[in-house]
Amino acid sequence: MAKNLSGDLQVASANRLADGMVVFLDAAGQWTERLDRADIARNKQVADILLERARAESFTVVDPFLVAVIEDEEGRIEPLSLREKIRASGLTFAAIAAEAVRYA
Amino acid sequence: MPDAHFYSYDDFDRRLVAERVEQFRDQVRRRLAGELTEDQFKPLRLTNGLYLQLHAYMLRIAIPYGTLSSRQLRKLAEISRKYDRGYGHFTTRQNLQLHWIKLEQAPDAIAALAEVDMHSIQTSGNCVRNTTADHFAGAAADEIEDPRVWCEIVRQWSTLHPEFSFLPRKFKIAITGSPNDRAAVRVHDIGLRLWRNDRGEVGFEVIVGGGLGRTPMIGKTLREFLPKDEMLAYLEAALRVYNRYGRRDNLFKARIKILVHEIGVEKMREEVEAEYESMKDSALKLSPDTIEAIAQHFAPPPLRPKRTLVPEVEALKLEDRNFALWLKSNVAPHRVAGHAIVTASLKPAGAPPGDASAAQMEGVADIADAYSYSEIRVSHEQNLVLPHVAVEDLPAVYRALDKLGFAEANIGKITDIIACPGLDYCALANARSIPVAQRISNHFAALARQHDIGDLKIKISGCINACGHHHVGHIGILGVDKNGVELYQISLGGDVDFGHTALGTILGPAVPAEKVVEAVDALVTTYLEARAEGERFVDTYRRIGAQPFKDRVYATV
Amino acid sequence: MPLFREGAATPIANDGPAPVPLADWLQDRHGAAVALANTDDVNCLQPHLADLSLIVLHFPKFSDGRAYSQARILRERMGYGGEMRATGGVLQDQLPFLLRCGFDSFESDQKGFGEALMRARTLFSVVYQPTEDGRPTASQLRLVSRRIMATAAE
Repeated sequence: MAKNLSGDLQVASANRLADGMVVFLDAAGQWTERLDRADIARNKQVADILLERARAESFTVVDPFLVAVIEDEEGRIEPLSLREKIRASGLTFAAIAAEAVRYA
Repeated sequence: MPDAHFYSYDDFDRRLVAERVEQFRDQVRRRLAGELTEDQFKPLRLTNGLYLQLHAYMLRIAIPYGTLSSRQLRKLAEISRKYDRGYGHFTTRQNLQLHWIKLEQAPDAIAALAEVDMHSIQTSGNCVRNTTADHFAGAAADEIEDPRVWCEIVRQWSTLHPEFSFLPRKFKIAITGSPNDRAAVRVHDIGLRLWRNDRGEVGFEVIVGGGLGRTPMIGKTLREFLPKDEMLAYLEAALRVYNRYGRRDNLFKARIKILVHEIGVEKMREEVEAEYESMKDSALKLSPDTIEAIAQHFAPPPLRPKRTLVPEVEALKLEDRNFALWLKSNVAPHRVAGHAIVTASLKPAGAPPGDASAAQMEGVADIADAYSYSEIRVSHEQNLVLPHVAVEDLPAVYRALDKLGFAEANIGKITDIIACPGLDYCALANARSIPVAQRISNHFAALARQHDIGDLKIKISGCINACGHHHVGHIGILGVDKNGVELYQISLGGDVDFGHTALGTILGPAVPAEKVVEAVDALVTTYLEARAEGERFVDTYRRIGAQPFKDRVYATV
Repeated sequence: MPLFREGAATPIANDGPAPVPLADWLQDRHGAAVALANTDDVNCLQPHLADLSLIVLHFPKFSDGRAYSQARILRERMGYGGEMRATGGVLQDQLPFLLRCGFDSFESDQKGFGEALMRARTLFSVVYQPTEDGRPTASQLRLVSRRIMATAAE
């Protein structure tokens, strides 16, 4: 069973300025492409601080914001909203490959 | 020597685009160095067609009036390989979108475009966007005059226009030269329709205030007949009225259609005509020499009439049923005997509509070199067109397209779906579009059934901005978000055909993603049972109304 | 706010008479400097242009482009020849547009604005639109070269 369905768990996310890739803020204040390394805020006050930290580190990223996540028993986290799921894990269909002459 | 039968840049155009690339390179440098904030930089990147979407930057490349040479298409393939993930998405406004661009490489990608006389200037932002045209221009049997000459004149006039680069909102112009409008001129901010009056003169009907988006409206006639040489003066007058009086207090009410709606088309006409009075004899009046200087670029290729009835074609028709269907749906009449216009379907069963890989783009370029005077068109229905193919070459073209997966005999049919990129890519979307299109496409993949169902346009948008033109689909599908769940609202009866332009009517409550295919199937079944001889889906709908469709759909889902 | 004029990379002294808002100025027409909102109708200045040496046009945000139209009407249709100043959201990347519409002085606190102003007229060597700056457009230049070619061929 997933905990915190109400979404009080939050991570900070943004797109990297130089290449636009989706990144998350880790506990050391670095931006990482890996959601599993994101620093998790477990209540409102910590989340506010997390967002402040993200904004302070926003020289190399664009418009940081908070993403509501859920956590399963093994500690794996996943965004709540479909949009953020897609941001975190990519297209929901197979994109056509560069050398494809037919769509498989 | 020009490499094509359409406009190619001269030194003036090349210099301007090169200088623009350098200006953008400097702007990117300043942004990466922290000299520009995102708020300051965003409008600058947008006017160069660079968006920041969910996963990466997206570059929107203009394909003016939808016309490409094989050389340009090969370069697009190369750019997509080198700077993106090796594929691109052709849009409903004759643009190509690359969805995985890096900001630090964007100036190089744009410089590569300039090598083949292309750019991404003004493909976003509150300015005049890429001017679109009939994708059969210069080839169609029903054409009065080639609209691309006028599109090119508009392209130049609108590029870096000093007065109209910060309009209330974006501004889209489309031009058609045929009585059968394939450019959707009644759903543009300004649509221009070339027609011949009683005295035999060709001029423009000027249509204003059409558009889809959040508040869909059909454009109204601003001027019944405008002499062609007055086109720029009249456009400048209309844009000035819009720049001064268009609403800027509410983003959603800022398009010219809202201004026209609020003050009325008569008042709009009065304002524009007053402005035009003081402009019409200015330097904006197009001299015959100026028009000729552009028109000569569009001299048609030297096609000689050829035999129309070719034994090999007739034989293959009997032998290969798919080829026979393809001739019916994907091949249109050409103005020169023994020739045809071929549409390459970018909608093979189950594929993301409008996507092409680099290898496929190169394949189409090769076919164009061999069989279509090196020319390719991009249609607003997200397909590619080979405009000048000899009838005797149709079997070879069919086989070559089939190798690429682009010979699906489905043009105008139920699987020739228009879809925006949707929530998989787009920061504005509420729901996904492509996976829905793929499921419908797979469900109706059988070609014989598609041809039995006949002409049926499905158009899917992932949000109310309506990039997938759902308002004008015979079946329109709009993705909405209800408490984190994707639902799809279905509308019926939309149409962009000239004289029948109509906005669809919502059928009823939105249906969940997994029920969309069943709902569409129920609509089709209702039509098949009720249709009279020769009726298309939309004709039957107009005759019997929404109720039978509604009953069937909501009994099913 | 620093004031710039073409020809100098550094700000110039802003010591002229303060511009008077249009409604006030129309009442007693005192002074030769008037400031307009971008919703004001510039036509009401037609009888008074000879009395004015400075018209200030306003950009509430750089993205609000109404003053470009005001500027062109004043310059091209009404023949105003005095100073025309841009205030408000004035950023260096707008300069090529502002100059083509007839602005000749600018208030901006953006870093590097003066240097950008020095370069702004040469950033683009080609223009497509005829405006009051009188630069020949690409299409006019094409006709000239066509005529030369035609003459040479005769």
